[in-house]
Amino acid sequence: MRAILIPLCAALLTTAAAQTMSANDLIDRILGNLRGESQIATLEMTVIRPDEQTTYTMRIYSQGEDKGLTRVIAPAKDAGQAFLNDGDNVFIYNPRLKRVLRLPPSGQSDAFLGSDISYNDLAGDDLREHYQASILEDTDTSVTLELVPDDDAPTPYGKIALTAEKPSFAPTRIVYFDQRDTAVKENILSDYAEVNGLYIPQRFEVNDLLQPGNHTVVTWQDAAFDVVIPEACFQQSALEREGVCE
Amino acid sequence: MTSSVSRLAWRNLWRHKRRTQLLLAVVAYATIAIIFFWAYYDGFVNVLLGGQARYLAAPVLIQTQTYRTDPDPENALQQLEFVSELAASDGVRGVAPRLEFQALLRSPYRSLGAQVRGVDPALEPLVSNIPGDITQGRMIEAEHELVLGVDLAAELDVRVGERLAVDVQSLAGSQGAGLRVVGLIDSNILPVDNSMVLMHINDARALTGVTTATGLALDVRQGDERMLAETLNTSGALPAGVQAYPISELLGSLMSGIEQKRGSMIPIVLMIALFAAVTVMSTVIVSVIERTREFGVIASLGLNQFQIARMVTLEATYTALIGFVIGAVLGYAMTFVMSSTNLMGPFINSFYGRYLSGLAISDRFIFATSLSYLAWAATTILIASLLAVLVPGRRVRNLNPSDAMRAN
Repeated sequence: MRAILIPLCAALLTTAAAQTMSANDLIDRILGNLRGESQIATLEMTVIRPDEQTTYTMRIYSQGEDKGLTRVIAPAKDAGQAFLNDGDNVFIYNPRLKRVLRLPPSGQSDAFLGSDISYNDLAGDDLREHYQASILEDTDTSVTLELVPDDDAPTPYGKIALTAEKPSFAPTRIVYFDQRDTAVKENILSDYAEVNGLYIPQRFEVNDLLQPGNHTVVTWQDAAFDVVIPEACFQQSALEREGVCE
Repeated sequence: MTSSVSRLAWRNLWRHKRRTQLLLAVVAYATIAIIFFWAYYDGFVNVLLGGQARYLAAPVLIQTQTYRTDPDPENALQQLEFVSELAASDGVRGVAPRLEFQALLRSPYRSLGAQVRGVDPALEPLVSNIPGDITQGRMIEAEHELVLGVDLAAELDVRVGERLAVDVQSLAGSQGAGLRVVGLIDSNILPVDNSMVLMHINDARALTGVTTATGLALDVRQGDERMLAETLNTSGALPAGVQAYPISELLGSLMSGIEQKRGSMIPIVLMIALFAAVTVMSTVIVSVIERTREFGVIASLGLNQFQIARMVTLEATYTALIGFVIGAVLGYAMTFVMSSTNLMGPFINSFYGRYLSGLAISDRFIFATSLSYLAWAATTILIASLLAVLVPGRRVRNLNPSDAMRAN
């Protein structure tokens, strides 16, 4: 899952075309915490709805910001499904169909495994050059940046508020606002693992603020960073063949 | 003697005014019904064709043959150098380039797939009614602007002035853009209001990587579409692999369905005519029975049975003819009114708009007018006269004058 969350977080946080150098510096610093070279981890994703709760276990493999493979291990009915991120493209393997499908644009708004994360989020948006950053609040313990998209930025949001803790500059909260200044989605990052001086979040929570009670929690059960992952792991053929990545 | 029989028949009509008036009313009613029926039907077909031409397609559309079978922007026109020559062709009132593709629209609340049409804002109004149906905001005027159907906007919960993210997978790879919504289309046509998006053709080119257009929409006079397309296809005005498609061809199976439906309407029209003719004949039969003694007297004065039969037939024919003239005048007066006012538009749109949800059924509906409806209405006279010859005429021909004289 981190394979697909890392591009998302990185994309959101690389929106650093700040008018002030201080905001630029802060964005780069915060982003640095999310830029692991490679990692392998087991993730648990719990999709919580007012009347039910579903937990998925997944194995993820990621390389840099734009390559990742996620394979569902449990529950049994979903086991075997696999998702490959390759740049902006998302490929899906369905074990029942025994086929690899490229997700069309119209399908990218669909919820990932019924969670509050869409495939579109998973593909990540490189918004670096489309946002203007400014410091909203700067205290001794945290800093909050406001990211306002350029007029023609390919995003529907009106602004994004990004909060990071000091002195690690690990991101703790990302809030998305619509163009009417209403918060619509919130990502909360926590449980940081320190790896080579970077603080990498091990818990990721997405809250749909327009539908209270709907949220998704992703936790890293174990994670190995800076590991060597075969290039074959990020080929479409790896979707159908378990064991290629380890 | 023939003119005497004619005069007698004419005089007899007005000896029984109430009966004649009843027959005239029946024939006039049938004539009005037939004229009204065809005017309504043709009006509906015109609305259907005009709606498709002015909203979903174009009166004539120029595309590559490969795009016609596989509507992927990769199969767009190779070049647009022939456009100026095309615009100067006889019968072409306007030419507008279009670049159409599927895209994902994202608002902060949801994402939806939509059919996007990249247009030249200055030329599109020549070939489409959509720019005129923008009820909130305005038509796009520059790049980075977008208008969309009012129902689609409601689904996305996006308002005029807000930005919408547009994502496309195309020749240019995965592309995204943020476009400002400047207007909402409220055409009362479901496919338009539910899924139509217009953006500047330059934005469409940047998103798709196509430097030309997927098609050229031509404005031509309604009714000339097929002829003009054939002329363009045979004159060598179009590059190789490029073809002009009239709206009737763009509609494909729908058009053949309309033609079939027209054929199936003919029995209904004939039934109306038959109803009127049988009514005329029945009344004439009763009249003949009532007038048996009178016929006996006429026969004794010198008219033979055939002449009396001709007189009866002429009575029926005159009645049908006068009723036809009255009905034609009233019928055409009604269709004239209905063809110059949009009385039935809202009803047609609300009823058929939902029933035929994939088609462009506008809320403007006017009746068609054509003199050919008279030919259909005239079948009433023909059938009435024929039946009068066959049934009451035959009875008169078999009349025995001496028996008839004794009849009560």
